Amino acid sequence: MQYKSQAVAKPYFIAAIGLFVGQILFGLIMGYQYVVGDFLFPAIPFNVARMVHTNLLIVWILFGFMGAAYYLIPEEAETELFSPKLAWIMFWIFLVAGALTIVGYLAVPYATLAKMTGNDILATMGREFLEQPLPTKVGIVIVALAFLFNISMTVLKGRKTSISLVLLLGLWGLAIFFLFSFYNPSNLVMDKYFWWWTVHLWVEGVWELILGAMLAFVLIKITGVDREVIEKWLYIIIAMTLITGIIGTGHHYFWIGTPEYWQWFGSVFSALEPIPFFMMTVFAFNMVNRRRREHPNKAATLWALGTSVMAFLGAGVWGFLHTLSPVNFYTHGTQITAAHGHLSFYGAYAMVNLTMISYAMPMLRGRSANSGSAQIMEMWSFWLMTVSMVFITLFLTAAGILQIWLQRMGTTPLGFMAAQDQVMLFYWLREITGFVFLIGLVLYIWSFFCKKGTAQAAA
Amino acid sequence: MINNTSTSHEIHATPPGDLAIWFFIFAELLAFGVFFVAYAFARAHNVALFDESQQHLNRTSGAINTLVLITSSYFMVRAVAAIKQGLSRECARWIAAAIGMGGVFLVIKLFEFHAKFSAGISLSTNTFYMFYLSLTIFHFMHVILGMVILAAVMLKARGGGYSAENHTGVETGASYWHMVDLLWIILFPLVYVIH
Amino acid sequence: MDTPHKPHFIRPCTFIWLALMLLTGSTYAIGEAGLGGLAIMLIVLGTAALKVQMVANYFMGLRRTRWLWRGIVLGWLLLVTGLITIAYLTTVK
Repeated sequence: MQYKSQAVAKPYFIAAIGLFVGQILFGLIMGYQYVVGDFLFPAIPFNVARMVHTNLLIVWILFGFMGAAYYLIPEEAETELFSPKLAWIMFWIFLVAGALTIVGYLAVPYATLAKMTGNDILATMGREFLEQPLPTKVGIVIVALAFLFNISMTVLKGRKTSISLVLLLGLWGLAIFFLFSFYNPSNLVMDKYFWWWTVHLWVEGVWELILGAMLAFVLIKITGVDREVIEKWLYIIIAMTLITGIIGTGHHYFWIGTPEYWQWFGSVFSALEPIPFFMMTVFAFNMVNRRRREHPNKAATLWALGTSVMAFLGAGVWGFLHTLSPVNFYTHGTQITAAHGHLSFYGAYAMVNLTMISYAMPMLRGRSANSGSAQIMEMWSFWLMTVSMVFITLFLTAAGILQIWLQRMGTTPLGFMAAQDQVMLFYWLREITGFVFLIGLVLYIWSFFCKKGTAQAAA
Repeated sequence: MINNTSTSHEIHATPPGDLAIWFFIFAELLAFGVFFVAYAFARAHNVALFDESQQHLNRTSGAINTLVLITSSYFMVRAVAAIKQGLSRECARWIAAAIGMGGVFLVIKLFEFHAKFSAGISLSTNTFYMFYLSLTIFHFMHVILGMVILAAVMLKARGGGYSAENHTGVETGASYWHMVDLLWIILFPLVYVIH
Repeated sequence: MDTPHKPHFIRPCTFIWLALMLLTGSTYAIGEAGLGGLAIMLIVLGTAALKVQMVANYFMGLRRTRWLWRGIVLGWLLLVTGLITIAYLTTVK
């Protein structure tokens, strides 16, 4: 840690991991409800568990991004953060607002929550991933603006590097596209059309810029490769991401009442979306092979390489699997989507945050890396979480293929619930694998408290 | 990067310009390639519609635009040749000429688009027009991007930012601009002529 | 372009430019004559492929780089024109 104000990243990282644990617990509840439908009913119905699972994911990743920005920006800009105090205030506002929202989801029926929070003034609720009550949405905007003000001012007064510019572009994009969550046309087609402007342009657009910047930062630190080389790659990857990702939005417009040309646009451009992810993999391995120093934090290196591979597999390969419109005609809204969702969110955004935390947390605690035994434990957590997520994805893919076969093909297709009964075995396997993932996550947290062995001295 | 003013016919390890732009060029070629092939197969499914609609295109303006882009590309070759001899001002003038030709392309294309749009043609008219409009508009945006890149290179060249020894930037801009030309060389016969 | 120290009356790249212009003219003439069919299609597409190679090798300067780079562009060209030809063949009885 080179600048005192970087310390403000620490609570953000801790909150992120805490919420991550919550997300996994609710994932396990849901996974069990897949096989035992009335588990915890009526206390936590499936739809509520799902909402909490996905909302916690979004919020912890946002905490991770903010923490990463607070850590990375001062070091890149070579100056103290504009206002550490503002960052602290925003941390508490965001945490309390997030916690209250989750409590609201769990404590009262969703319709009651909507009534309590003024959804009749401006109706924004009830849409997947954007279920947050109006005050929470407004809170997110306020926190995001204050956060952006804080880091933009820091960059303005300091050194401007490609990494911080790409990160800023991504974070500003994140805030701007979130504004579409307030736009809720009564026409269902238009509603879905603009809903994707938040959802798709986040995860397949601006978030990839944030991912690229965070990965590039960690790679510079652990490999010591010239900034110039890394920046050049970063620009090319970002350009490809935007070219393919923006028009690639079309792969969500196949069957929702939008004009037919979207089938072509969506298929062609999103078929190219794996390219930037593939370039990221080549880039990461290339940089590590050309490393000029042996950084003591081996675990962070593993996470960085793992992110590039898993993002390519999850977002690139599993996305391509069902992105062409003739294929998507059959796969739309099946467990294939769930398989892709799990591996891409874990492989890209969960892992890049874990990479950043793995690199930055020891620094924030005054050492360049955790002790050898702690790192070994962390590497175990890497393999447990990553391999179990791959298996979860494979089980869901198998379930999806079977589901499509039984429910949508052949001469005597089954009904939805009848098809679900036939794929139950895969849901059981998925749930069991989910517990392995939880063990991996617990090990990850434990590794930060592992006292055995000697920690590396501060760099 | 290798930028020598070699007069020999030696073989370079990497293509002219920054290697990064070449990865970008290859990705662009792939994107357009997929689109070209998609056009060909969509046409195979509906030959009559494609052949009928194609007759309403302005082949003359398409052909003139091909000549314009080829000439513009040629100007960029001359710009690179000039900077290899250390002639900054001459280089900047050739680039300006290349940008000017790019502008001519855009104007001709805008007339073409205007005629189509005022005839009530849109992306939803039929599959042929969907391809015609999206391919040409996508290419149109690449011409604009290329002109922006060339303008940046030209300003730097005018300020003496390049020399006979160090002119990667000029070659980078030229490589991208040639790609824009190269794509149109396939696009024109494919969409305007072949039936 | 490639031999700046020896003054040429006409540079090689100028010849390439002239050839590209003439080939464009031939494609345009075929279009104006309204010709169609497999043979014409192959001529027009072949002309385009030849022009692409001229631009890639002479204008982009790939002829003086390793075969890898020429190969990528050539491979792309053969793949795209090959698939276009296959698509066309499926419509010819």
